[in-house]
Amino acid sequence: MSFEPRIVGFLCNWCSYSGADLAGTSRIHYRPNVRVIRVMCSARIDPTFVIKALAEGADGVLVCGCHPGDCHYSEGNYKTMRRMPLLKRMLEDFGIEEERVRLEWVSASEGKRFADIVDDMTERLRALGPSRVKLALAYDAVER
Amino acid sequence: MTEKRIGVYVCNCGTNIANVVDCDAVAEAAADLPGVVVSRSYKYMCSNPGQEMITQDIRDEQLERVVVAACSPRMHEPTFRRAAETAGLNPYLVQMANIREQCSWVHDAGEMATEKAKDLVRAAVYRVTRHESLERLSVDMCPHTLVLGGGIAGMSAALELADAGKRVYLVERTKALGGNVARVDLTAPYLDSARDMMTDRVTRVIEHPDVSVMLESELEKLEGFVGNFKATISHHSSGEGPPIEVVDVGSVIVCTGYKEFDASRVTHFGYGKLPDVITSFEFEGMLKQGRIEMKDGRLPQYVAIVHCVGSRSEEFHGYCSRVCCMTALKYAHEVKSALPRTYVSDVYVDMHAFGKGCEDFYRRSAEVKTLFLMYGKGDHPVVRRADPGDDCEMLITVDEQLSGEQIELPADLIILMVGMEAREDSEQVTHLVNISQDKDGWFIESHPKLDPVATTTDGVYIAGACQAPKDIPDSVAQARAAAARILGKISRGKLEIDAMFAAVNEDLCSGCRVCNEICPYSAIEFDAETKRSHVISALCKACGACVATCPSAAIEAKHFTDEQIFAEIAGVLA
Repeated sequence: MSFEPRIVGFLCNWCSYSGADLAGTSRIHYRPNVRVIRVMCSARIDPTFVIKALAEGADGVLVCGCHPGDCHYSEGNYKTMRRMPLLKRMLEDFGIEEERVRLEWVSASEGKRFADIVDDMTERLRALGPSRVKLALAYDAVER
Repeated sequence: MTEKRIGVYVCNCGTNIANVVDCDAVAEAAADLPGVVVSRSYKYMCSNPGQEMITQDIRDEQLERVVVAACSPRMHEPTFRRAAETAGLNPYLVQMANIREQCSWVHDAGEMATEKAKDLVRAAVYRVTRHESLERLSVDMCPHTLVLGGGIAGMSAALELADAGKRVYLVERTKALGGNVARVDLTAPYLDSARDMMTDRVTRVIEHPDVSVMLESELEKLEGFVGNFKATISHHSSGEGPPIEVVDVGSVIVCTGYKEFDASRVTHFGYGKLPDVITSFEFEGMLKQGRIEMKDGRLPQYVAIVHCVGSRSEEFHGYCSRVCCMTALKYAHEVKSALPRTYVSDVYVDMHAFGKGCEDFYRRSAEVKTLFLMYGKGDHPVVRRADPGDDCEMLITVDEQLSGEQIELPADLIILMVGMEAREDSEQVTHLVNISQDKDGWFIESHPKLDPVATTTDGVYIAGACQAPKDIPDSVAQARAAAARILGKISRGKLEIDAMFAAVNEDLCSGCRVCNEICPYSAIEFDAETKRSHVISALCKACGACVATCPSAAIEAKHFTDEQIFAEIAGVLA
């Protein structure tokens, strides 16, 4: 059986979650590898959420917010825009590949874009293989 | 964590979910999760029997938490929260798992879709265990309303409110009320005079004791929240009164309208170069003057009307501007009645005659001998100066779709039906009142079908063509609907505000004040005495930016706590 990556998506309520809903109402199919967690604004996404998801065995984490300039809360996404690269740099130092954490802007009208992002991320993670954190967890479990 | 008594309800949504996801299997899997005492799969959870199933179980099984796996929470979360409330359960103790929009509608039927649904339900169960009862805030509703824009929509909204005895501040940037409709001569399809209609409205608005008309004025700042806004308005006229005024309002209606497409952006019609190529609004001016003529004062023998200038094009705006087709037919009538011997041709892409009385109007236009020529979408007619020997000023080349032939059409006067576009200052308005714009710049409504006048900011409404191209009756209907929504809120006197907001644990707060800066609503205050920050709940919009920022983890986002989200993460990955 081929490797099916598990992706946790953190989506802001106003743009990206609505965009993902729109993919549904438009019946745009995409890979079933993503599990979405709704937050009110991408600025709520504490870096520890991403770390927690990776530590719990996610192969990738997708963070989506409103396009810059479009934030429902004026400027929350700008905070996310600055936070995520810093987090990614830190994760890379821990050996977590850059592609495992992805920040994308998805508006409420971009159902197709959301679907394309999920498909693309699924394919990339499939090529990359399971997350090292997950493997480490598996070894831990065996040793215990 | 003490275990809670949880009920799980998996909706089949007819076959919408059940055709893709094995709902019974999802319910069975959920039954084994910690705390779950009831787990059911049912045809339609949102139906009355579905809701009664929940309320009955809350009472019979003493449920403390409810999970509904169904459509998007953006669809039916209010429904299930209300159901819980009727059975005496705090509405915030309900959690939804989105297994329709984000599962069954986007995945192929089979094991992977069912597994995903199980994961989402598990996450909801883990999360809901950690939910807390929350109480909504009750605040006073200020009965005054700010209306931005004195066009047909703004005036209609103002009169509706003022006639109900409520005070309205009507802010208009220009020197006069009336907006774009005041620039129009007759209205389609009944050919009534726009001027008669507007004169009556404008007089009533100006004379109304409950409407304060503020001309040459602008909104500078809007602070506060639904029911309790403070609007700062600047007056630019050099007349009497202070240049800045602050008024208390409970609601805002944005009726800032549209601007016409700039025809000089299109080169192939010769606008700006050929003197007798004019825009529809320039032609309205001519009609209002009472004389249809060419630049040199002669009467045109051939009038051509070109549709979709700036609209429905890949190059400019993709949308239809909705009013131009009927306005074009109106011009055909007006030309024919003023100059019966003039030939009128109407060069269109598709004739959109969807409004009441419009199809009849189209038929009558054909009967008054208007020549209709159809060009292809994506194509465009080309205008050039006629040769000296021709008996006309210009020639229009059209690849006519119905005959399949290239037709050359004489013209002395060409009217370009310019579309509507969002005003340049729309973006500024979105920041002022905190609403959003779509890709074309139009303001976004709360729900395209079920909530077309509200916005995502409570207490701020949109009406008229600032929301999308719209004709007069639709603008008026939307304006009066917004006014009715506001009157409803005013009549209740008190407002309930969502209980989701941030709260500072002052024992953990170090007083660093980072959150004071990060909050886009200035909802976090620093107490110089205690050296701690605290959140003004009514101002907080619950974005959670401060929560993720606080270096001491001293701020909690109610209903989106770290613990709840960690539980959800653990749930989807378990």
